[in-house]
Amino acid sequence: MAKDVKGIQLSRVRELNQLKITRVFNEKWLPNLVKHPRPQRPGLGLTGYLKHIQDGRIQVFGKTEAGYLSNLKEDEKTRCLKNYFALKLPGVIVAENIEPAADWIAMAARYATPILVSELHTAPLISRLSAYLYQYFSKKIKLNGVLMDVMGQGVLITGASGIGKSETALELVNKGYQLIADDVAEFYLDSNDDLVGRANEVIKNLMEVRGLGILNINDIFGASAVLEEKKLNLVINLEKWDAKKKYDRLGEDNQCFKILGLEVPLINLPVGPGRNLSTIIEVALRNFLAKKSGRLTYLEARSTPPPAPGGAAASREPGGETT
Amino acid sequence: MIEKKQQIFNKLGLHARAAAKLSHLANMFSADIYLIYNEDKVNAKSLLGILTLAASVGNEITLQAAGADEQEAIQAIGDLFDRRFDEEI
Repeated sequence: MAKDVKGIQLSRVRELNQLKITRVFNEKWLPNLVKHPRPQRPGLGLTGYLKHIQDGRIQVFGKTEAGYLSNLKEDEKTRCLKNYFALKLPGVIVAENIEPAADWIAMAARYATPILVSELHTAPLISRLSAYLYQYFSKKIKLNGVLMDVMGQGVLITGASGIGKSETALELVNKGYQLIADDVAEFYLDSNDDLVGRANEVIKNLMEVRGLGILNINDIFGASAVLEEKKLNLVINLEKWDAKKKYDRLGEDNQCFKILGLEVPLINLPVGPGRNLSTIIEVALRNFLAKKSGRLTYLEARSTPPPAPGGAAASREPGGETT
Repeated sequence: MIEKKQQIFNKLGLHARAAAKLSHLANMFSADIYLIYNEDKVNAKSLLGILTLAASVGNEITLQAAGADEQEAIQAIGDLFDRRFDEEI
């Protein structure tokens, strides 16, 4: 389902507010394409060692690059800049509001390379840039369901159409938890290999509740009721109660939901009369957190032997301590 | 499972009102019904899902249905597109 990514135009990078771009030189070449999620600092590339300067990577200049270039003799500098810019790089961003020298701009122009200036320091510039580019270039997948933040955990509530996903989510919002996306959540792998979900721009903050229509949760509950994006920790699948199906009675089933090569814990919750789903989900989360920290209630409940009168050490239930 | 290519004729494309009519109609069938556009596949029974496609007039989408009444579902939904969602403009 990965979309065919050829690259992102530098003009879109320029528009990102978080990068604090103040000036642009050689604007004519802003349509150049960045084809790689990781920005690159040229470093030794400026000295003539160009082997690892990769095509399609956006270049970041900091004080080191600027300082090195300004200390070179004129002819040496021209030679270095020429070799470097001749690689036809997509673009250069100069950090810390350093003024690009006229000869950089001229040489960049000769090889169709735009130069952007940002007021950020190099480290935050690179981290913000790569966070954005990773999201842009990563494999994306759309899943049907409501993505919420419950007790700090990203929870995707799935289930057949009409089973009550949105209604359950609305109850959770009413209890003070946050909505990320209703109906369709888009997931991507970030630079830490975490699965992160967010809403499509068109339906951000919106929720559809039958009988009430489309609701803007941000308008009704305020900004604290919505979140931009969230790492997925747990999938809760709602299904019709089926008397013949065997449900987990002990709490020892460890099911997984497979997505983009990762495994996310999954809980199947049967929907039936008298089951208050939002409360069950809240408790499921408390239990999920307890399990994460090593408390296995079902083991403790079934494997505690009665204290033997003589030697307590002999009476260990076979197999009781393993998971 | 059956599929049908369908062009969008109404001026406003799959906007909220059209999406509401479409998901309402899709919900009358027991079959699983999907809309596919630009490699995005969404459930036709989900209003917000349809909106995320942002498909507009002249675009071609694929209708896909699987289930007991798939034939009728594709027929009825294709018909709704052809009627331009009963919009006057």
